[in-house]
Amino acid sequence: MRAGGKMAAGFKTVEPLEYYRRFLKENCRPDGRELGEFRTTTVNIGSISTADGSALVKLGNTTVICGIKAEFAAPPTDAPDKGYIVPNVDLPPLCSSRFRSGPPGEEAQVASQFIADVIENSQIIQKEDLCISQGKLAWVLYCDLICLDYDGNILDASTFALLAALKNVQLPEVNINEETALAEVNLKKKTHLNIRNYPVATSFAIFDDSTLLIVDPTGEEEHLATGGSGLTGAKLQDCMSRAVTRHKEVKKLMDEVIQSMKPK
Amino acid sequence: MAGLELLSDQGYRVDGRRAGELRKIQARMGVFAQADGSAYIEQGNTKALAVVYGPHEIRGSRARALPDRALVNCQYSSATFSTGERKRRPHGDRKSCEMGLQLRQTFEAAILTQLHPRSQIDIYVQVLQADGGTYAACVNAATLAVMDAGIPMRDFVCACSAGFVDGTALADLSHVEEAAGGPQLALALLPASGQIALLEMDARLHEDHLEPVLEAAARAARDVHTLLDRVVRQHVREASVLLGD
Repeated sequence: MRAGGKMAAGFKTVEPLEYYRRFLKENCRPDGRELGEFRTTTVNIGSISTADGSALVKLGNTTVICGIKAEFAAPPTDAPDKGYIVPNVDLPPLCSSRFRSGPPGEEAQVASQFIADVIENSQIIQKEDLCISQGKLAWVLYCDLICLDYDGNILDASTFALLAALKNVQLPEVNINEETALAEVNLKKKTHLNIRNYPVATSFAIFDDSTLLIVDPTGEEEHLATGGSGLTGAKLQDCMSRAVTRHKEVKKLMDEVIQSMKPK
Repeated sequence: MAGLELLSDQGYRVDGRRAGELRKIQARMGVFAQADGSAYIEQGNTKALAVVYGPHEIRGSRARALPDRALVNCQYSSATFSTGERKRRPHGDRKSCEMGLQLRQTFEAAILTQLHPRSQIDIYVQVLQADGGTYAACVNAATLAVMDAGIPMRDFVCACSAGFVDGTALADLSHVEEAAGGPQLALALLPASGQIALLEMDARLHEDHLEPVLEAAARAARDVHTLLDRVVRQHVREASVLLGD
């Protein structure tokens, strides 16, 4: 169907879902992507020097910045050899007009919980690595993720930003002085964190009773997604294999960027 | 801090600048897709971004709508990782509210609010890295963002901070210079008319010294204006090339 520019824009306003379905029928999307294609991903590591580790990730227009600050704390009484990682996702009103200022809304809280679960389940870093002195002193890593531009798929962007920022974190060496029982921080000797696993998130939007799955939805697509009655096992397998491919893409990109940052 | 010389005998500051010299400024407009207008600025190591939504319908109570002009709503937020010590509350604390109020007063002076009665203009400023002069960086970023949004203004609003050390006025203070405890002044200027949009100082300064400090800040603000003007022209040129072809 050929439509003049004005007609297409009018149709889009009146029947957004139908307009979108026309593209899906041709196995593509309004921005020219295929159903299984991600938007252009860029990452910028270590740009915030006041943070102990930082990363800025852009997934198309969606922009998330992660800043990590390390502080001292007493380890939890039930796990004296562990430190803490405290993630927080902030969706401020500046990233989109849908968010109001005030306490964190539902979406921000869900995203924060998601990131906390990812950290816990994937064991990105062993919390034991964050312990300085058993029962007395440990590191707490505050991971603050701020969305600067919201165009869908906040979870994928946040996970990647967190991962890249953790890779960038450098903690100074700390020794407990036996006589004074005070911690002595040696800022000249810094070591990177030991990242054990690399969790990479892949989000899908479901259209029309699970017959169509699109990867990396934009804000508009998230809004239009109709959801489905359930996924078949085969579809789930498709999703998982796409996620595995995405993992390779993301890890490659991150390694390239970190390699390019090394002083020659 | 004992032993730290803010101004050497040869007239050099801690980071090697001269007394009236600005830090390196880099700015870009139109960085975010969702917002009506956006801008990012780096003044030395201070990194700030500003985002503008509007003019749009008043959010919340309709009663707040002003019948003859637009309501300007400013919010200042400083990331928890922006300072050396982690900030516990990025927004909502007293300092952020005060900054938000100062930004609002500054922009109400510059934006032609009579052209948009009964509507609201939101200006959100986010500081990603703070190394002194955060108010100035926010104002400069917000000016560019408001221009990017196409909201008419009386003039650019250019801001700069200034201090006074060893009988010399310093312009564009870094964090080290601010923390030293001397008097500091923040100035927001409308360069074409030379009018002051906002002047803020809470320190003790002899009235004889006010003139040189104010002069240093105004001169630095004019230098900022030259730079911002160049950024805007460059942006418009790029945009027209994209549209033209």
